[in-house]
Amino acid sequence: MEERIRSIRQARALLAAAMQGCELPQIEAMLRNADMELHWALWNLGEPVPLRPELG
Amino acid sequence: MNAKFWNEHTETMPREKLDALHLQRLQKLCHYVYERSPFYRGKLDAAGLKPGDIRTLEDFKHKVPLTDKSEFIDQQLANPPYGPTLAVPEDLVCHHAESSGTTGKPLAIPYTMYDTVRYGESWVYGMWGLGIRPSDSLYFAFGWGNFAGFWSTYWAARRLGCRVISGGGLDTKGHINAIMRLKPTVLISTPTFALRMAAVAAEMGIDVSKSSIKFTYHAGEPGPTALPAMREQIEKAWGAKAGELLGIAEIDAFAPGCPVGDGVHVNEMNVFTWSMDAANGNEVAEGEIGENIITSYVNSAQPLLNYRSHDLVRRRMSCACGRTWTKLEGAVLGRTDFMVTVRGTNVYQTAVENLIGEMPEVSNSYELILTREADNDAMTVRFEPIKALAERKDRWEEIARQMSEKIQKALHVRLKCEPVAPETLPRYELKTKRIVDQRPKEFRRALDR
Repeated sequence: MEERIRSIRQARALLAAAMQGCELPQIEAMLRNADMELHWALWNLGEPVPLRPELG
Repeated sequence: MNAKFWNEHTETMPREKLDALHLQRLQKLCHYVYERSPFYRGKLDAAGLKPGDIRTLEDFKHKVPLTDKSEFIDQQLANPPYGPTLAVPEDLVCHHAESSGTTGKPLAIPYTMYDTVRYGESWVYGMWGLGIRPSDSLYFAFGWGNFAGFWSTYWAARRLGCRVISGGGLDTKGHINAIMRLKPTVLISTPTFALRMAAVAAEMGIDVSKSSIKFTYHAGEPGPTALPAMREQIEKAWGAKAGELLGIAEIDAFAPGCPVGDGVHVNEMNVFTWSMDAANGNEVAEGEIGENIITSYVNSAQPLLNYRSHDLVRRRMSCACGRTWTKLEGAVLGRTDFMVTVRGTNVYQTAVENLIGEMPEVSNSYELILTREADNDAMTVRFEPIKALAERKDRWEEIARQMSEKIQKALHVRLKCEPVAPETLPRYELKTKRIVDQRPKEFRRALDR
């Protein structure tokens, strides 16, 4: 499980990098939704994450 | 697809880990509302409380003030639509719903996109536990409107990946024809409407127990978990497995059904709950009946902390199904506002309904009428005998007498039981109104006056 959690955290970091400076609203919305789902995955694995993904 | 649980990792998490997680999340929630919700900032300030003061679960339960729906409604009426209860910029609100107004004025409920995802997820635990899978197709037998309950079922269907078939504004016969034509495998409706549909189908010469429906799943009013007799009726009528979920529009679909069938499990990823003695505010122990007090982690648009549900529940901390999530045995046993005390005996709505459901000569249409007599609450059961007895008025009084005796034997209280002609009481597509409160205003909860 630790390995899976580590992978999800890495995926969020990659998404954050991809979102930075994104000028296409469509792609930005997709990346934001993907990050929301990964935040939700961490939450449902009992990981300590903020209440909303954009809070940290 | 053979997994027993939707998420075994958290559904069977040991209690100590769950409690540690709750504390951490409640502390974050207190900071969140203090920074973002003018309503809760004011409430915590008035209580002389700062978010950092919450160091234990006991601190949270007993220091954070209770919230009642009437406070929210007052704030919203003064400054519509949401007033200071909103904790996010209004442009983040992606869905507006309203409570059904069962107990008074409807409450405006804003959700962010993320709130809708998390809300929908709650349904999936129960659906998965019952056996519903992505290959199933869900038939929604209701008009959508503003009612949060069934919108959240739609969010669940999208999460699970099921096919959605909307019955929209069809009438009862239209729903039955659509089911026979489109062959969905799951019926989503209020429990009483599922029975109504089966009865109308029989009049149309259609036996829905032979239809494509394999599961029925319900919410909105006491159903197959709270009322075993109703489970038997629904499962027999539809030839299907019946499931139920307990939700509150402004909170979450927070307690999906237990596959054992005798209760619902609190989704402890989405909410934190405890039981309170409504008379003195003390916490009640496991196995005792108390008011369910709920805090939601997933309503970031309109957070709710220590929210008074007014639902009376009995919690158990273990279950044969293997979930460690708190079980509410029999779902909701009654309401603090609709509970009547007749000569010192508490009478719970579902207890009476269960006994009525065991009488084969009584239809599923009945009302519980609350009045005041000689400074006491009183309850009268107004019921319809089944249609086959429409011409047997002599039999109606005998059934009323049997019902009264049955209730007295089981609950130690004598209620008046009044028969009325079959097909004369109102029918409902959404929540069935069982309670007719005719007590003077001063004997009702403020919200219901």
